[in-house]
Amino acid sequence: MDLSVKIGNLLLKNPVTLASGTSGYGEELSAFIRLSDIGAIFTKGLSLEPRQGNRGNRIMETPSGVLNSIGLENVGLECFLREKMPFLVKQGATVIPNVAGHSIEENVELCKTLSRTPGVAAVELNVSCPNVKEGGIAFGTSMPVFTELVSKVRTVTGIPLIIKLSPNVADPGEFALRAQEIGADAVSAVNTFLGMKIDVKKGRPHFLNKVAGLSGPAIRPMAVRVVYQIYERINIPIIGMGGIFELEDMLEFLMAGAAAVSLGTVTMVHPGRSAELLGGLADYMKKNSMTDLSRLTGMAHRPE
Amino acid sequence: MTRLIGKPEEVARDHYMLRLDAGDAVSAPGQFVTIKPGEGTDPLLRRPFSLFDHHDGVIEIVVRVVGRGTGLISRAGGELDMLGPMGRGFSLERAGSALLVGGGVGCAPLNYLARALKGAGTRVTMLFGASSSGFVYCRDEFIRNSHDFHVTTDDGSEGRGGTVVSLMAELLAAEKYDRIYCCGPTVMMKKAVELAGPVPVEISVENYFGCGFGICAGCTIETTSGLKRACVHGPVFDGRSVILGSLG
Repeated sequence: MDLSVKIGNLLLKNPVTLASGTSGYGEELSAFIRLSDIGAIFTKGLSLEPRQGNRGNRIMETPSGVLNSIGLENVGLECFLREKMPFLVKQGATVIPNVAGHSIEENVELCKTLSRTPGVAAVELNVSCPNVKEGGIAFGTSMPVFTELVSKVRTVTGIPLIIKLSPNVADPGEFALRAQEIGADAVSAVNTFLGMKIDVKKGRPHFLNKVAGLSGPAIRPMAVRVVYQIYERINIPIIGMGGIFELEDMLEFLMAGAAAVSLGTVTMVHPGRSAELLGGLADYMKKNSMTDLSRLTGMAHRPE
Repeated sequence: MTRLIGKPEEVARDHYMLRLDAGDAVSAPGQFVTIKPGEGTDPLLRRPFSLFDHHDGVIEIVVRVVGRGTGLISRAGGELDMLGPMGRGFSLERAGSALLVGGGVGCAPLNYLARALKGAGTRVTMLFGASSSGFVYCRDEFIRNSHDFHVTTDDGSEGRGGTVVSLMAELLAAEKYDRIYCCGPTVMMKKAVELAGPVPVEISVENYFGCGFGICAGCTIETTSGLKRACVHGPVFDGRSVILGSLG
């Protein structure tokens, strides 16, 4: 059975990956799963300097979802290379750092260095960060800014480049298509949907940043829709994500057009679920006499 | 899955004792377990519970029902989806005498701590603060595991009337303690740390956890040495290192 997934010149051993932001740098999860078993680990959004993240409330449960306002807390590039990469490489993990710079220059610098770092399999560019020089508007919501960022990053990235799309635009397919035109190797769809919580006792927003990112099963139908729509516009692989908890959820994303999937919120609740779902997928394919994952990808688009 | 031994027992108003078959798990006072409430994805996140005790392969926790998730756990039967024990617990440094100050469900980890300290030869004074007598649980265990046990209630319905920290202040004025341990509402712990003066004080924080094992960075608290994830760097911290004003 062939479960491998090709992203540019990178071959993932299977399509089940750990999403950025809910996997840390693999240290905690390595107590629950063998990191070498899963397709890839997307590490916590990285900046050049360490970031403390947001103050005040950072996380809260919603109906079948989670709102987060972590603020991209991370250890910074130097510590990542010195302490986190050696651990991940030793574990045999396929490492895809998520790059979350707050300016075009910072993203370029990060991708340049990571491209030359042994053990880094690909980079994932997070375009949902605020562009500090342009008043904090997310890169991924303005087509000219998005185009400039992805173009400049592509030029310096000598390894597969994955663009993690924002769903907080009218037509994510436009951005996916632009990423493909510029030469991205894949897109991740999708990042969190913007949400909000009002503390009614205080009559104030619950989070200091006011808005927060919504993830989990609550966003799954919207995320599946985005993947389905993007698949009709592009030929490069889609890494689908948004509230996958069960095998059926994963199959939805694959059939909608994803070549691989990422698990995020579920890992917070069930830290071993990635390995379980990988086993579940193999069983499903065996039962349905499928030898190749490509049979599943985009199945919902094909005529009966 | 973890087997529930017997049914959850109502030990005080809105408080339930759950006994869980922990197999050969090892733990320390101040550590916690997380439990997934019910099946499915709503409620979604695990709930953290400090260990009330752990002996003979059985973990005991006290669940205070505050919403739908804890309500489901308080009515559970058969098996529960539990992770742990996890986190950094209290230090069990040798001390001649220790003052343990708890508020409400925050008294739970102090029971396990009291038993460990008493067993190691420390003289243990336990203060249990509650709003009213109906919320005081497991008096027999606290009495057995401490040398002195005092209850305070805000409405005066049991023990000393007033807050637990006012009794703490009186005891500190009358007697010398080598170490103070505290768990309860933030405002109570803030006062307790102030009252501790030069005496070493450890607190167990009770802020909102996302995952409970360190991957989400949602439970971060501000300390004098930067932001710390309460679930893995704590939940027990040096009381003076935590900037309690930053906690909700």
